[in-house]
Amino acid sequence: MTDAAGQDRALALSVRSLSKAYSGTLALDGLDLDVRAGEIHALLGGNGSGKSTAIKILAGVVTAEPGGRIEAGGHADRAEHWSPALAHAAGLRFVHQQPAVFPELTIAENLALGEGFPTGPGRRIRWAVLNRRTAELLERYHIAATPTTPLGALAAVDRSRVAIIRALQDRDEADSGVLVLDEPTAALPGPEVDQLLTALRGYAAAGQTILYVSHRLDEALSVADRVTVLRDGRKVATVDTAGLSEGQLIELIVGRPIERLFPAVSQELHDEAVLTVRGAVGGPLRGVGLSARKGEVLGIAGLLGSGRSELLRMIFGAYPMMAGQLTLDGKSYRPASPSEAMAAGVAYVPEERHADALFHAESVRHNLSAGQAGDYFRRLLFRHSQERRDTSRSISEFLVSAASDRHQVQTLSGGNQQKVVLARWLRQRPRLLLLDEPTQGVDVGARSEIYQLIRRATAAGTSVILVASDLEELAHACDRVAVLKGGRITAVVEQPLDAHQLTELVNTSEAA
Amino acid sequence: MTPDTTDSGVAGSGPAGGAAASDGAAVTGSAAVTGSAVAGGGAVAGGSNPASGGVPGGGAATGGVAAAGQGAAARPGGGGTMGLARRRATSILQRYSLVALLGISIGVYGVWGKTSSVFLSAPDFRNIASSQAVLVVLTLGLIIPMISGSLDLSIGNAAGLSSVATAAFYAHGHVPLLVGALLGVLVGAIVGIVNGLLVVLLKVDSFIITLGTASAIFGIVIWYTGGQSIVLGIPQSLLSFGGGNVIGIPDSVYVVIVVALLVWYLLEQTPFGRSLHAVGSNKAAARLVGIRVERVTFAAFVLSGAFAGLAGVLLLASSGAGNPQIGQNFTLTAVAAAFLGAASFKVGRLNVLGSIVAILFLAVNITGLTFAGVADWINQLFTGVALVVAIAFATALHRERRPRARSTAQDSP
Repeated sequence: MTDAAGQDRALALSVRSLSKAYSGTLALDGLDLDVRAGEIHALLGGNGSGKSTAIKILAGVVTAEPGGRIEAGGHADRAEHWSPALAHAAGLRFVHQQPAVFPELTIAENLALGEGFPTGPGRRIRWAVLNRRTAELLERYHIAATPTTPLGALAAVDRSRVAIIRALQDRDEADSGVLVLDEPTAALPGPEVDQLLTALRGYAAAGQTILYVSHRLDEALSVADRVTVLRDGRKVATVDTAGLSEGQLIELIVGRPIERLFPAVSQELHDEAVLTVRGAVGGPLRGVGLSARKGEVLGIAGLLGSGRSELLRMIFGAYPMMAGQLTLDGKSYRPASPSEAMAAGVAYVPEERHADALFHAESVRHNLSAGQAGDYFRRLLFRHSQERRDTSRSISEFLVSAASDRHQVQTLSGGNQQKVVLARWLRQRPRLLLLDEPTQGVDVGARSEIYQLIRRATAAGTSVILVASDLEELAHACDRVAVLKGGRITAVVEQPLDAHQLTELVNTSEAA
Repeated sequence: MTPDTTDSGVAGSGPAGGAAASDGAAVTGSAAVTGSAVAGGGAVAGGSNPASGGVPGGGAATGGVAAAGQGAAARPGGGGTMGLARRRATSILQRYSLVALLGISIGVYGVWGKTSSVFLSAPDFRNIASSQAVLVVLTLGLIIPMISGSLDLSIGNAAGLSSVATAAFYAHGHVPLLVGALLGVLVGAIVGIVNGLLVVLLKVDSFIITLGTASAIFGIVIWYTGGQSIVLGIPQSLLSFGGGNVIGIPDSVYVVIVVALLVWYLLEQTPFGRSLHAVGSNKAAARLVGIRVERVTFAAFVLSGAFAGLAGVLLLASSGAGNPQIGQNFTLTAVAAAFLGAASFKVGRLNVLGSIVAILFLAVNITGLTFAGVADWINQLFTGVALVVAIAFATALHRERRPRARSTAQDSP
């Protein structure tokens, strides 16, 4: 899969046998990586594949094991000597996943925090110089804003672009150095992702070399010239994206074909409605009506900010409902708090695993039984042995891989943490399970297991309402998908579903 | 990690060589350890700074400790059997380092010429044990809100208020012994109710709220007493309880044992204890698993207040007077003991046994140094150093374990 032509083009970055071990485990095992000048090179892989480690070594914030070599921008050194200063001198510029931008400050101030404020006598900031410099940069990078606009007033995509400009501002010629972007689209809503990708293609066309790290395969395929796939710390392959399909790419990442990632959808659907929502109003929701049937996976497709997360929270009693009616199993249902919702058999897996679901320093066992401790307290005694038994059963039933249930949950990988959160609810056999982005930040293998678990639950009679940004995923995982737009359900589509149809339904201008 | 603590522990006792006659016992013989502290409100404010400076925010400080640590938790998938065995060994070392330090301290003072004659005598052990009862009850009450991520800096003053109020109930209300004691607990609980309501309703950091209520309580006590101790009218039965013993063990030690069992049961054996840990670990997540976060926080403050009230009654029994000045001196020591205690047994978690060992460690050293002739400033110096070392220790443990956790976190957007 290498091409002779490529050999002629200069390399902007060359890495040889890069390794890194964390407490005895090789997180990165002899990575060789060549990034050609002027190309967009995507670095792909699941959780724990080593791509974050590789980026951290390149940035000089993590020290590599001896034996590797890094060469960029005329600087070459042994990998274990690589430092932030060296990385900077070699022209490597990094924009991290959550770039440190400050929404309250102006664009000019945000840029100056990277480059330094221009100062006059007495360290006085020369605002006029700063604003002129910022205006030039904004124009060069085609951002329609004035230097004194607070960053928070910009769209998410423009905030990301400002972070990129900040990384690049001290370099006038674009044809040297490498811009390294770590998950640049993770926080962007759908349409803005495309805008950012378009901008990146523009930078590349102007000669900028970009190393692009992402979870999102479709993006990598659409924006990158070549991709390097990592699995378990090793490089699987470097391939041209021309003619490469998403299925082939997934196969490289996981090591097996995509058809086997999603379990088959339910064969027969019950007509019996478990949950009915009528005219739900609150926050961005302006009268949502839908019903979830027994044993089905009902998807909610909507953009970020469409109110999809609020809808789930409302059903769980964690978001105020101003008007509307909920019916659960034919009975009126109006949860004032999560505990009331739980008592009615409703479960909820929130979008932000770290902020809203995990008790990081607590053990796996306590995380699994969180909120259920009352079940183990009988006649003034806590039934620890029963809890232990239940825990080990849950760990095997819900495919959690943990060395011990006494370990802190934060020592698990992202996918296993998510399975712990899921297991916390599934072990209670809920009537209705609300899932908000259950596979976010989870590698392809764990994703497939999570969908297996969901299907196993629906087969046992649980109904699922699933919110996911990845429309491909919704199309594969759901029996039906409701489209949420402008605070209302604008369409409900059934299997056979396809992502293109959903993309159109979600993105077309509001008709309702 | 462990040698660090040892070093600092010794560093703290360094000035021991300096002579100076000690006559710090302000109230009774038993006060040589805790009651001798003189500093006023400054002790509370000055003492809290290291806590908030080490890890920002009161809640964050306790969270840090809750998160810091279990060295025991080996990382799954990391290292071979060698690494695992080594980690297990370090974890045992961590777990019992404070116990070892306590043993070493006792040994040193037992052998040291200046202190050995008094130190190994049974009356002195009894003295340490009974004089620490107030502090143990306060600290065990304190760890309840600390586990839930809040800090109660008003406990010392609440105990002071309770001892003065109980003395007044006896002196002016002529209530029976047990009724007076219960009223003392109730006074503490009321302070806890006020703290809890303020923290829950105003949604302000408990650190600030209780710093404020602590000062306000002190003001009320001084206003009521005019700064004078209430000495007359305390029932003889209470006073003899303070000095009495059964089979050679001071009465107050029995109270401590009951309180310790109660708090242990509450924290480790009830769903409420689980809720406290959950709220302390992640409030938003706790709410989303059906835990009523506000209710738990409120209850934690009421409990710490009630225990402070009980401590106040014990204080009255042991000192024989409702002294408006001494209550607040306990706050910082209790905070220090709680943090130190989190570094042993269940490493990284505030726990009952660890807190008690920490208090004994502080008491043995302070008593020992006092006997050795160091002036009573050693009390504040030693406690302050111990607090800072304990927090540094917890934070270091926390950091040591971070890189891996962070790399997993970064892999997932």
